[in-house]
Amino acid sequence: MAAVPAADASHTGGVLHSCLSCHDGTKATGKPPTHIPTALECDTCHMSTAWLPARFDHAGVAPGTCAQCHDGVRATGKTPTHITTTESCDACHSTIAWLPARFDHAGVAPGTCAQCHDGVRATGKTPTHITTTESCDTCHVTRAWIPVSGVDHAELPAVKVQDLHYGDVLFYFFGRKYFEALVRLSAYGEQGHLAPHARDAELLRGGLYLSLGQHREAREIFERLLADTTTPAQVRDRAWFYLGKVLYATGNFDQSERALRSVSGGLPIELESERRLLIAQGLMYRGQFDAAVAELDGWQGPDNWTAYGRFNLGVALVRANRAERGHAMLEQVGLLQTTDPELLALRDKANLALGYALLQAGQPAAARTALDRVRLKGPQANKALLGAGWADAAGGAYQQALVPWMELHGRDLLDAAVQESYLAVPYAYAELSAIGQAVEYYEQAITEYDAERVRIEESISAIRAGRLLTAALAADSGAQPDWFAQLTTLPDAPESRYLYHLLAGHEFQEGLKSYRSLEAMAQNLDGWSTSLGAFSDMIETRNSAFAGKLPEADRRLAMVDVAEINQRRDALHARLEAALRDRDTTALATDAEHQWLAMLAGVDAELAAHAGDASLDEAREKARLARGVVMWNLDAAWKTRVWQTQRAMRELNAVVYDARTRQAEAVKARKGAPVRAAALAVRVDAVSPRVTDLAVRVAAAKEAQGRRLADIAINELEEQRRRLDEYSVQARYAIATIYDRASSGTP
Amino acid sequence: MKAWIKAAAVPAIMLLALATSRAEEPAPPPTPERSALDAEVQGLRREVVDLNRDLFMLEEDLLFPASTQVAVFVSMDVGTFFDLDSVQIRIDGKEVSNYLYTAREREALLRGGVQRIWLGNMKAGEHELVAFFTGQGTHERDYKRGATLTIDKGVGAKYVELLISDRLRKLQPEFVVKVWE
Repeated sequence: MAAVPAADASHTGGVLHSCLSCHDGTKATGKPPTHIPTALECDTCHMSTAWLPARFDHAGVAPGTCAQCHDGVRATGKTPTHITTTESCDACHSTIAWLPARFDHAGVAPGTCAQCHDGVRATGKTPTHITTTESCDTCHVTRAWIPVSGVDHAELPAVKVQDLHYGDVLFYFFGRKYFEALVRLSAYGEQGHLAPHARDAELLRGGLYLSLGQHREAREIFERLLADTTTPAQVRDRAWFYLGKVLYATGNFDQSERALRSVSGGLPIELESERRLLIAQGLMYRGQFDAAVAELDGWQGPDNWTAYGRFNLGVALVRANRAERGHAMLEQVGLLQTTDPELLALRDKANLALGYALLQAGQPAAARTALDRVRLKGPQANKALLGAGWADAAGGAYQQALVPWMELHGRDLLDAAVQESYLAVPYAYAELSAIGQAVEYYEQAITEYDAERVRIEESISAIRAGRLLTAALAADSGAQPDWFAQLTTLPDAPESRYLYHLLAGHEFQEGLKSYRSLEAMAQNLDGWSTSLGAFSDMIETRNSAFAGKLPEADRRLAMVDVAEINQRRDALHARLEAALRDRDTTALATDAEHQWLAMLAGVDAELAAHAGDASLDEAREKARLARGVVMWNLDAAWKTRVWQTQRAMRELNAVVYDARTRQAEAVKARKGAPVRAAALAVRVDAVSPRVTDLAVRVAAAKEAQGRRLADIAINELEEQRRRLDEYSVQARYAIATIYDRASSGTP
Repeated sequence: MKAWIKAAAVPAIMLLALATSRAEEPAPPPTPERSALDAEVQGLRREVVDLNRDLFMLEEDLLFPASTQVAVFVSMDVGTFFDLDSVQIRIDGKEVSNYLYTAREREALLRGGVQRIWLGNMKAGEHELVAFFTGQGTHERDYKRGATLTIDKGVGAKYVELLISDRLRKLQPEFVVKVWE
């Protein structure tokens, strides 16, 4: 085999693995001192068109040994702002590109996102991010910044509660525990706690049903609120808005539009913007693009919403065959100056849509400009790279087309654009008459398609064996699955690769949400089933404890004669009344005074027996004086003693009242406890079959939902396999054509 | 070859088919089978909500009958001068609750949520309730304050609110205990 001449800059001679005959550092550029140690030929990694980008095959590299080359000298290492870690590169990065990196957030404590996501070490809040002190994970999931898992668009302003129980519901609602909030709201409503907030509570109940995906219940509640003529205007506006949302989500666009148009202007700006866009989107879903254009043309809302409005206006204009204005509108969004991740994603989408629209309109140069604006790391990057290649190819610049297509080549083959790039690259080489490379890349395409096909088949088998859902739910292990929320993390299993892909589909995502809510229901019912057993035991224990204590309680109750105490109290009361009426000071005399009076009475009697004895006159005088002193003292103390006695009587009254009340309660409890226990036992008995019955039905529905998800997944993967088969056939056909032309000498 | 070149234009058509939205996407047209299953799941979810409501009330009636029930709630008004970390509650000298708040729960309190931090039983008569609030006060200084209340438990249920509010004049938080009947 002859070496390629040095002057042959195109290297199109088709001779592989002979680079070192020229690239020895003397005749032509060789390996620099910092090159990674290797004995392989240059073309193992480098292309003939440029040294960089090089494509190193990491297949033989042992996991965890990345830093042996990626040390910042021989190959790219960690940047100064890289998050602090001692992990090997391959813990997060793939061998295809540094980004996107897949950081496993499993070990990250909730609420600590800002420790890395500070805008330096990892993406942080943009200058236009809404003002919040919340942690990232309040709204965002770990998989991607958008879509957000749920921004609470201040759907309820700060509330001054007039009943603590309504506040308790709000605590769970604001904490985004919608199921718990709904259960408490319903229970407190039944218990009559929510009267001061009746309408707000009803609006909240509708919103909670909507959050849980219970569209029928939500709709009923909003319609009921609207039918009530006494509902205040502000509540009515929100009810119309949420009813419109329910109808939109269930695909009833006509009714949704009517409801949304019934809002009379009392919505906060965020909800008002959403209302406007929902009307326009509903029109677009019904193919009424001119009406959608009329709805959105000239509309101005908050920045983020306006950008969405313009994007949709651009799409509506293109669909309404007003391409020129549509392109201009999409270009406006495509040229947005922003650092907001949500708007950057929208900008990518606009540029991609514009690029393909221009390609279709036969303007490849303008298409290429739009597609070049799409970020290389975003979710639209692959489609944009593919389109950029086509834009170049359409102008005959195949060499240039190879740049984006080679960038795609080697990315995840699951993506349709990447799959196409495996055909596009050899196609370009063939057009450039580099037949050797064309054949090599076609053969590589066939190999890769076949390998991917095997992986798909393995995954289909895994899904049939039920491993897909096990993997999806394992991602939530240790935590109570959400009632109606999206999956935030995915396990690192072979099927996960396809789960990411499947999750992009609305049907699978909704199905998975339903499946996970069924799992949550099953766990909830299981918990209640255990609790109900404990409730029955508790009632039984209480009954036997009651029976054990009953004789002693009866004995004590029998000991207390409240009627007799009452009589004694009444007698005392009568005596006091009589003393007050007669101003009988002796009635309030102390024991000592009574003794004195008794003694004086005895002396008086003795003296009376000797009435004629003059020698006793002095004694008589002393006795008179003594009585006078006692009576004087009694009279002096009268007012104080009356006050003290009346107070004592009042205290006695209270004590007797308490005793009477407690006795009545004790008697009531004595009679009522068995009745109450029996009533509770009846309630437990009545609810137990409901739990059992629901558990069986939930399990059956879960199984059916699982089968449905598996069907969706298998259909999708089979579709992928069919597409790969088609591409494989096309690659083989292309090779055959090349060989055919070569053998027949056709140029 | 040309066939798949044309296929590359397909994504463009698909891209322009739908509007893009920040709101929930509408459901795709359901198939009869899927529609039935979805309806069944929705029906089950409704039944589970109703069942949980009944069980919630049953549990409360069984464990905390109104005659002995006492509930303690925590609420926050403004909260500029105090960043709540935890609340500890002692009744008659015995710790009955020690709750550590997440950022989301603090936000829920600030937006008007009221947390039922403890639900329990008390005999009729007088009881002493002591609540300790820990967190950060102004200038990020650690802050711990207590509030005491003597509860006169009668026949009916008793609700106690522990309110954290701002005392603007002193630029200090204020802890108020309020009894609701």
